[in-house]
Amino acid sequence: MVLEFLQSLSEMQIVGELTVLSLLIGGIIMIGGVIIAKIAKLLFHKYYAPSLPKDTAQNISKLIYFGILIISFLGFTSSQGIDLSGIMVAGGIFAVVIGFATQSVVSNLISGLFLIVEKPAKHGDTIELPDMGISGTLLDIGTFSSKVRRFDGTVTRIPNEKFFTSNIRSLTLSTVRRADATVGISYGSDIDNAILVMKNEIFHTMPFILQIPEPEFRIDELGDSSVNIHVFVWHPRDDWSQAQPILLNTLKRALDKSGIEIPFPQRVIWSEKD
Amino acid sequence: MKIMSNASEIVFSNYGMYDLEDELELILPNTSIKFHRISDNAFSYFRKNSEGKIIEKIIPVKSNDLKIELAPIRPLNHPARRTTHMFLKFDKSIHLSENSAASIFIHCPIEVGIFLIHDSIHDSLDWITCDPLNSRFGLYGSPDTGTLCKYAKVSSATDYNDSNSYLDGVLQIILENTLSSSQSISKVVFPITDNALYYQNSKTILDGIKITLKKRAAVNIADVTTTSLETDWSKSPTWEDKTANTHMEMGLE
Repeated sequence: MVLEFLQSLSEMQIVGELTVLSLLIGGIIMIGGVIIAKIAKLLFHKYYAPSLPKDTAQNISKLIYFGILIISFLGFTSSQGIDLSGIMVAGGIFAVVIGFATQSVVSNLISGLFLIVEKPAKHGDTIELPDMGISGTLLDIGTFSSKVRRFDGTVTRIPNEKFFTSNIRSLTLSTVRRADATVGISYGSDIDNAILVMKNEIFHTMPFILQIPEPEFRIDELGDSSVNIHVFVWHPRDDWSQAQPILLNTLKRALDKSGIEIPFPQRVIWSEKD
Repeated sequence: MKIMSNASEIVFSNYGMYDLEDELELILPNTSIKFHRISDNAFSYFRKNSEGKIIEKIIPVKSNDLKIELAPIRPLNHPARRTTHMFLKFDKSIHLSENSAASIFIHCPIEVGIFLIHDSIHDSLDWITCDPLNSRFGLYGSPDTGTLCKYAKVSSATDYNDSNSYLDGVLQIILENTLSSSQSISKVVFPITDNALYYQNSKTILDGIKITLKKRAAVNIADVTTTSLETDWSKSPTWEDKTANTHMEMGLE
C-alpha cells in the first residue's frame, strides 16, 4: 500500500526530473536538518557552553547551527539532482548584481564577521560608542546587527557596519577604572589641610577606592573665586557606582566637616571716593 | 562559650564549635550575632556589624544535631569579593644581603566566618570583618594588565602567638636571596586562596609563604610560593570555592 503510494509519487513529475517524491525527500532532509541543528545547539548550550567564555560559546553555537543547515541544504540539492556547478557560475554573475543591490546588507554581514574575528568587545562587556552617544552592555554581535542594552534598560540595535567603523570605548577591559571630581576651596583655606581632610574622608567612607594607586590631588586652577582641586581616585572596574556618583558628595562632606569654605562666585567692586 | 578579653574587659566569643539549641549569642569586637529558635525546624539569625549594618536570615533546618562554627577566614569578602590576591605592604622594608635567607612573621588581616554544620557538612552562613578600615583594595601593576588585590599595611609579629584576636593572623614569610646583590623587599603579592588558616581560642595562624629572589633570563624576579604549616591548631573550613592557583611572580624594584 505504502510502496504503491510512493511509487505513484515518484511518477508525478513537476519539472524535468523533479518529482513529488524527490521533493518530499528533500523536504524531510531540510526539516530533519533544522531539527538536528536546533537539538545540537541546545545540547551545546546545556553541556559545553557554560564552561566556555560567553562570546566564544555564542560563536561556536552559531557555527554548529548554520553548519548543519548548510550540510542539510547540500543534502537537499543533491537529492533533487541539482548540479551546483551551474549555479556557481550563474551565481557568480548574479552575486555581482545582488551585491550592488544589497550593498548595506553584505557590508553588515562582513562587518559582523570582522567583529567576531577582531573582538573589539565581548558579550557582556560594558561599552561606550561616543560617535553615536550610546553606552551600555553588549548583548550580542549578530549576523547583521549588534545589540546593546543601555543603562536605562532599553536595547539598541546597531547595524554591524556602523558598530565596526565606530570608536568603541571598552569600560571593562582594564582591571580598574578612574573616577574624578573637581572641588573649589577659598583662597584663605590651607590647601594641604584641605587635601588631608578629603583624603581621610575618602579612606574612611569609600571602601572601594584603591589605596594603591593612592587618590591623587592636583591644583587644577587658580579660579576667579576659588582654588580648584582636581581629585582622581581608582576603583575596581565593576564598582563605578561606588565611586564616581558619590565622590563629589564625599569631598564636600569632608570640607564642610572641617569648616573649609567652598566659595560661590563673587566679585569685589571698589568704588572711587568722591 | 565566651572569654574575657584582656585588653578591654569586653567578653568575646572564642573561635570553635557551638551547639545550636534554642538561643546562641556570639560577641566579637563591634559585632553581635544572635541565633534564636523560631519553630521546631527553623532558626532566625541576626548580625549587627561594626559599620551598623544589620543582616537577618531565616535558617530552615532538618536535623536536630546542629552546630555553629566560628572560624577565621581569608580576608577576601569585605567590601566585596573581587579578587583572590593579597597585597601586603610592610611597615618597614626588609633588607636581604646577597645569597642570604631570613624568616619573619607578619600580621596578615583576616575575616571571621560563621558556618552552619549539619550532617558533617559545613555551610557558609555569613562573614564579618572586625577591622573594616584595614580592608581595602590595591593594584599591583598597571591599570590595564595589573592584578587587583586586597591591600593591607602590615607590621611584623614576634611569633605564632602574637596575632591580634579577630583582626589578624600570623603569617610566616621565608625569604631567600639567590642574587649576587643585596635587595630590599617592601611588599608581597600572592594568591591567598592557597593559604589555609588555623585557629586556637581567639588566635589565628596561616600557611606561610616563601619568597625567592632569583634571576630569570635577564630579569630579577621574586618568586612567591605557599608553604604548608604543620600544627595541632584547628583548621578553618574553606569559605570560598577553592580554585587552583599558580604561584606569583613579582618584579623587583
